[in-house]
Amino acid sequence: MVWDYSEKTTRLFMDAVHGKPGTHLGEIEDPDGFGEHGSIVCGDAMRFTFRVERHRTDPTKDVIVEAKYLTFGCTSAIAASEALCTLIDKGRYTPIEALKIQNKDIVEFLEGLPEQKIHCSVMGAEALEAAVFNWAQKRGVDLERLGIDVHADEQEEGRIVCKCFSVSEPYLRRKIKELNLRTIPEVTNAVKAGGACMSCHHVPGGLQDLLDDTWGSGEGSQRATRKTSKAGADVTKEEPAVSPYQFAKRIEKAVDQYIRPMLQKDGGDVEIIDIKDTLVYCRLHGACAACAGASRTLKMMVERTLKDMVDERIRVIEVEV
Amino acid sequence: MGIIYADNNATTGIAPEVYEAMTPFLTENYFNPSSMYEPARGAAAAIAQARQEIAGHLGVTDAKQILFTSCATESNNTAIVGTAKANTNRSHIITTSVEHPAVLEVCKDLQRSGYDVTFLPVNGDGNLDIRQFVRAVRPDTLLVTIMHANNETGVIFPIEQLSRLTKETDPSIVFHTDATQSVGKMPFNLEGEYRHVDLLSFSGHKLHAPKGIGALFIRRGTPCRPFMIGGHQEGGRRAGTENVPYIVGLARAMTLAMENREKEEARIRRLRDRLEKALEKKVPCVQVNGKGATRLPNTLNISCHYVEGEGMLYQLSAHGICASSGSACTSGSLEPSHVLRALNVPFTAVHGSVRFSLSRYNTEEEIDRIIEVFPQIVANLRKLSPYWDNKKNTPRPNAENLFHQSR
Repeated sequence: MVWDYSEKTTRLFMDAVHGKPGTHLGEIEDPDGFGEHGSIVCGDAMRFTFRVERHRTDPTKDVIVEAKYLTFGCTSAIAASEALCTLIDKGRYTPIEALKIQNKDIVEFLEGLPEQKIHCSVMGAEALEAAVFNWAQKRGVDLERLGIDVHADEQEEGRIVCKCFSVSEPYLRRKIKELNLRTIPEVTNAVKAGGACMSCHHVPGGLQDLLDDTWGSGEGSQRATRKTSKAGADVTKEEPAVSPYQFAKRIEKAVDQYIRPMLQKDGGDVEIIDIKDTLVYCRLHGACAACAGASRTLKMMVERTLKDMVDERIRVIEVEV
Repeated sequence: MGIIYADNNATTGIAPEVYEAMTPFLTENYFNPSSMYEPARGAAAAIAQARQEIAGHLGVTDAKQILFTSCATESNNTAIVGTAKANTNRSHIITTSVEHPAVLEVCKDLQRSGYDVTFLPVNGDGNLDIRQFVRAVRPDTLLVTIMHANNETGVIFPIEQLSRLTKETDPSIVFHTDATQSVGKMPFNLEGEYRHVDLLSFSGHKLHAPKGIGALFIRRGTPCRPFMIGGHQEGGRRAGTENVPYIVGLARAMTLAMENREKEEARIRRLRDRLEKALEKKVPCVQVNGKGATRLPNTLNISCHYVEGEGMLYQLSAHGICASSGSACTSGSLEPSHVLRALNVPFTAVHGSVRFSLSRYNTEEEIDRIIEVFPQIVANLRKLSPYWDNKKNTPRPNAENLFHQSR
């Protein structure tokens, strides 16, 4: 599948893989902050390290001066890692300030990411967070006292909801709220949960239930199903530009003037059984129906002609009566 | 002579091999497959193996898509109600007028709670009109549930095409088929010609496993909420402690059925065809229901004009022959079979249907015996029938109208 990446995403990726000066591939030895997220089993993983300029008296005033990453993953995962490090480079943040960098900042920096690739930016933000927590521990900074949620409850092992990517319930609950995830596809795009076997979608305590718990059952679930059906039905949901009556007329005309005469030359014929939006249900008659290439005839000849003459979105469906 | 069992579409006898495979799990190996100790592992392993075996017979690579239930009725309920619950933004269901009650009544119940249900009619042979089906599919259709083979007539619907048309129209529509009568009798490849089927139900007791075990194939990614809730079993999709011996029995029964399927099918078809031809020849005024359609090889549904089914069954039973009828009297309701009415079987014959359904355990001799006694049974009843002229052995002149007036 070819993804629709922004120019910046592909450029950052190309720069990174070619080790262009100014990129951040690598691992800092003996880092001040060390964070990891993801795993090879799940298809992407990131190790993020940073070095700080230590403040003499107040560790909360440390400033991040160098950040590096090692990332196993796709184009956008690597570009997102690169983006994160660039953002940090530019900002001269304290680690606590750096926590404010969220996945949406990464997406913005990349000038957009395909929906299904949002999890790459989430991975960056998670690795950063983990590294800051690691720094705080090393430097004896009590983040909780500074009002920062370190998700202590998640340290205890929560129930695993998505077994494929081993995503736990407390983590999912937090992310659904934090990232304002409303539908199963949104959850999957952001944190990958539910993206493989999908068996956790509708089981009790599964993704839909967590969404319903968070947002109430009405809106969340409806949006979810509406979205899938829209995605699933692709072209059929796009109304032809003309009225259905006119559309059917045009199809009939094309069939009568071009398609039927051609088929009749071979002793066959075609019957239009129904037209739904841009789907045209056809049955081949006579010699054409018995022909081993019947499906090909419909696709190559009938569908091609209708696409050319009436509407490019037309799809012909073969009906055997 | 012992009994002649010719009612295999109702239920079947347990195959000795199946019983044997089950016994260890009814006796020494009674453990809960969810338990952690060593002995329970055998039970869990037996389920895993059974699941794999059944998946194999259905052409399914990933066995996790097979769910064990208590019967086909539960499988059908799960499929239909579960799909409706998981697709709350759509409200239209397509089914047929000849479904088993386990589908028909569930659809009617959803209809009462606000769903819009299309019940597709069939023609006199029991076939669906594909054109009507195509036209029934709507943008708000959530589920198509159409049986594979009819339990009363044996008529087979073209599920491969119906599911393809459904999915080509809109991949979000879920396609379910009740394959209770065809699993074990027909080859299946759910990754081949049946790849568009999302949900498929069947049960064990139609293929020589015991009653109380069913299965549901749920294709990965199909939106379907569980029906039985309250446990992690079956991946959370069907709660309840697994019925280990019956699951083992189902797998064994299916393997037995599939191992010799082609050979047995040919033999059973020959027996059925012989019975059909002989009865058509020897009994005047009969019609074979679904004759013009593709049918299961084991099923013969024959209607005798101007007689009532229960009277025939009663006499057959006196000869030790077990069969069934779609007549009103046998079902305890006042109406004859909804399937035969959907086929527009004339009112002179709709009450006089008898269904013989064979299995691999039926013999030539048994068929001979049915052929020998059946014509006399019909003749006995016709002797009593006000619509039958016994001297000429034909219906009385104007018999149809006579019947009509008396109603």
